[in-house]
Amino acid sequence: MTLHATPVPDAAETRANATFEALMWALSRPGTVQPLPEPGHGAIAEALVDRECRAFTDDPALAPRLAAFGAALVSPVHADHAFVSLARPAGVASFAQLPAGSALYPDEGATVVAEARFGTGQRLRLTGPGIETTAEITVDGIDPGLWAARAARCRYPEGIDLFLTCGAAVIGLPRSTRIEVL
Amino acid sequence: MSLATLTKPWAAFSYGFLDASAKRELRRKMLKAIAVPGCQMPYASREVPMARGWGTGGLQVTLTLLKPTSRVKVIDQGADDSVNAASIRKFLHRVSGATETWDTLDATIIQSRHRVPEERLRDDQILVLQVPNPEPLRPVEPNMSTARQMHADADYGRLWLVLYEQIVRSGRVMQGAAYPSLVNGRHVMTPSPIPRWDVPKLNMARHLTFLSAGREKRLYAVPPFTRVEPLAFSDVPYKVEDHGNLTCSRSGVTGFFMNEIPQEDGSAVHELSDSHLGIKAIRRAEGEAAPIGATWYQNGEFRA
Repeated sequence: MTLHATPVPDAAETRANATFEALMWALSRPGTVQPLPEPGHGAIAEALVDRECRAFTDDPALAPRLAAFGAALVSPVHADHAFVSLARPAGVASFAQLPAGSALYPDEGATVVAEARFGTGQRLRLTGPGIETTAEITVDGIDPGLWAARAARCRYPEGIDLFLTCGAAVIGLPRSTRIEVL
Repeated sequence: MSLATLTKPWAAFSYGFLDASAKRELRRKMLKAIAVPGCQMPYASREVPMARGWGTGGLQVTLTLLKPTSRVKVIDQGADDSVNAASIRKFLHRVSGATETWDTLDATIIQSRHRVPEERLRDDQILVLQVPNPEPLRPVEPNMSTARQMHADADYGRLWLVLYEQIVRSGRVMQGAAYPSLVNGRHVMTPSPIPRWDVPKLNMARHLTFLSAGREKRLYAVPPFTRVEPLAFSDVPYKVEDHGNLTCSRSGVTGFFMNEIPQEDGSAVHELSDSHLGIKAIRRAEGEAAPIGATWYQNGEFRA
């Protein structure tokens, strides 16, 4: 193979690569705030979701974009990716219905992306893989029922992996993280 | 939806060789692999211009991560200049424009066959290990479905039995490479055929490790600060290779993992397995500036 020019990524590839890098480090180091290339959930969906995925969203603006990426729009029970608002108990109810995989197939646990505000509100103490000792975060704009719902679904290695975004910042909370509500 | 919205402008090939849907699938699986450390995640393992079994699993992970500012090091049994390593590194550069490097300190992504570099990896570095056989249970359970059930049940008794039988038959654990290790207290993984010497480097490390088997179509990960405990009996502690006192015949460095080079008279000399560490040591001895990073082993002893 001979190439005459150094390959250059297009805008979509650059965006998807940077978005995934943020998600990867966010999940590898739970509690750290990682920078996304652009605010909103569109770029995250673009980097992860395609025609092989079944997605759930309660955001009417995001639904057509997910459909355009090829994902089937389904109810929470069947979704492997969910872009939901967890500010209200209704969102937490959807969250609680998402698949958590099984001990045989932990990879079937869903990935959830939700909007939050960092730096104010509920204090959480995190321990687990990716955290040297403990980490503390404060998040707001999340219904307090989420943490109990998450604990009920995350029976390791089963579980749901959660990304919280605040503008163009993301925090990852994989199922392996134990969350203590302070 | 129309055909126009689904079509992208023509390009000779995708950036980073893999097409966008292959990368998305790998990204999804890499995230799941991080979320469940040490658990093998199935993936499609696309065709790459290299035969299965020559590092295609590691290659696909690296290709997904690559961007123009990446600095990529590829090693094969510790050496940067072996044919396989040099070819993979050249390919990675050609399809992504990423910079090639031999220096562990300089690299952002290190793709490796069967070694972890001797210099400590940092928070921002990613180690991609090529894996020939990702299933630690295969020697004791050839049936994949049964092995999956055993992982689900954390049923690892037969692995302990293998170690016990080795001790009974030979007086010591004979498992040299690919030493089964418990990750995050839950899943036993094979750390790929790295020597026993390298397994402690994965425990509570600062860097992120991906392990990917292209032929077997499975990948798994060890995130930073994750427990990786080699299976060992409490009264027969885990032992690394007895290389702490060996001296490299070319660089004069002592206390690292060595390759044994047989000589014609029947004796043997030793050479640093991490070849670029040896090169840097020789350069330093010749008065050049060749910074050597902190190493996991000091004076032949592992330092956590």
